[in-house]
Amino acid sequence: MNRTVRKFLKNPFNMIFLLILISVLMVAVFPDLFARYGPYSMDYDAVLEGPSLKHLFGTDQFGRDIFSRCVFGLQKSVIIAFSSILFASVIGTVLGLIAGYYGGVWDLIIMRICDGFFAFPSLILALFIVALFGSSLLNLIIAIGIVYVPIFARTVRGATLSVRESLFVKASKVIGKSNFKIMLTDVLLNLSSVLIVTFTTNLSTAFLTEASLGFLGLSVPPPEPTLGGLVGQGTAFLLSAPWITLFPGFVIAVVVLSLNILGDGLRDVLDPKNR
Amino acid sequence: MSFAYLVRRVVTSIPTVLFVAFVVFITIHLVPGNVVDMMLGTQNYLTQEQIDQLYKEYGLDKPLIVQFGIWLKNIATLDFGTSLRTGKKVINLIMDRFPVTLELSVLSMFFATIIGVPLGIVAAVKRNSFVDGVLRVVGLIGLSSPSFWVGAILIVIFAGLFQGFNIFGYVRLKEDFLKNLQVMFLPSLTLGLMLSAQIMRMTRSSMLDALQQEYIKTAKAKGVSHSKVIGKHALKNALIPIITLSGIQLGYLLAGTIVIENMFALPGLGRLLLQAVNERDYPVIQFVVMFIALLIVVLNIVVDFIYTLVDPRVELR
Repeated sequence: MNRTVRKFLKNPFNMIFLLILISVLMVAVFPDLFARYGPYSMDYDAVLEGPSLKHLFGTDQFGRDIFSRCVFGLQKSVIIAFSSILFASVIGTVLGLIAGYYGGVWDLIIMRICDGFFAFPSLILALFIVALFGSSLLNLIIAIGIVYVPIFARTVRGATLSVRESLFVKASKVIGKSNFKIMLTDVLLNLSSVLIVTFTTNLSTAFLTEASLGFLGLSVPPPEPTLGGLVGQGTAFLLSAPWITLFPGFVIAVVVLSLNILGDGLRDVLDPKNR
Repeated sequence: MSFAYLVRRVVTSIPTVLFVAFVVFITIHLVPGNVVDMMLGTQNYLTQEQIDQLYKEYGLDKPLIVQFGIWLKNIATLDFGTSLRTGKKVINLIMDRFPVTLELSVLSMFFATIIGVPLGIVAAVKRNSFVDGVLRVVGLIGLSSPSFWVGAILIVIFAGLFQGFNIFGYVRLKEDFLKNLQVMFLPSLTLGLMLSAQIMRMTRSSMLDALQQEYIKTAKAKGVSHSKVIGKHALKNALIPIITLSGIQLGYLLAGTIVIENMFALPGLGRLLLQAVNERDYPVIQFVVMFIALLIVVLNIVVDFIYTLVDPRVELR
């Protein structure tokens, strides 16, 4: 593993975007350290002001500081995206393990259900669920997470199929390990690199899905800021105060770009084909 | 490409369609309250008898499995019910809005292809060069940017550069062709740019694959010109994955249109869906979602057929 980490960090590209992502995480975890104003505090003397030293990203129609709102919005967006992929990876991995390890009827049922879910574009399925059940934090996490369950299930199933036939799994069976234990230790440990890559790449699209929901006004309801929501509310002032829209959008793009580059980098390092 | 294949392909997609219908049906039923409660709202002036009558009218008094059967029958006969808010037939609403979404999707795909494929070819031919590096970064940025952000940037740029440019204010294709194209230009370009990043990456990698094949070496050894090797021998063989991706993207495109239609105020399916969501117009929501899922199933079959046109080696049986 140490060699892998060193190889990963040798690429300056990976290094730079890892640093960016770590700083983003820091901002998300400690928003109060970075935001100079509260997310709801209004300043009627500074309405729709352009970017300045006082208001780095400018202000909106209520004189709220866009930078501070971005910071708090980032926190919400990170929580939702991360939790939903965590949810998807746990459920998807369990389903994929069962389908791949036991095969037969289990495989058939689970994979057909996954096929069915693939017929929904991710945003539409998430939008459908949120529209019906309301956009509470938990609903959002589940709505976005469900979309990614089939992706994890399929990936894990494919990898499990190949690991299942390997000699060490057969050996474990011979020495009398239970199926459950084999799946948990032998199979799952061997899938860790696949899981890491799938997790990172899908985290970026989950982040985008949450942002799109926010843009449509279906993420956590206002006045609570989310990055997508900030962009959506800003479009009304796009031509008179473009900063309300452009800065939060830029933050989304930077986070997603970092995740994509790290995902690519991890794949290069962890994929056995490139070793 | 045989008729038997078409029949088999349609039959095998039936379970998917049934599953989708089931998910939409059951999700709607998991929501607390039903259509009748929704219509009554908080002010209830109806007697219990009248309420029972309404339940009967909407089939809500029957067991769930029977209701599911009715729902399937309705989908099959395109009887999509009526909107709770406007009282219009949902099928008419969908058919009224669908052409806008279709036009947006086709134009976006057009932009995506004319931008993505040539850039992908250049990146593959000049592999590991400076140009390739720049295109890789540009592609990653394109993949990572939210469509509404790209759209906002394009609006700001176009509004600044061309004062008289029609950004908003949808005009129907039938009414004024040129004005319609002008209004559709920016939304399609936005979506097209987003898609072109993926198409470019896919073109690059499948071109690289194709360029390494033996027949390319043979062609070069025979003295076939460079451009002919790339355009005819390599590109033709690289097309399959590109078409697959375009097919998959058509689905995502339909999702992308939701955001873009709302951004540019285009009266398409996506706008209809969001409107229905905001007004809690359940019949409209469930049938638009169902319609989109059905569309994607059909599109996948169409994409399979296109393979055979591009690559005669692919035999569909």
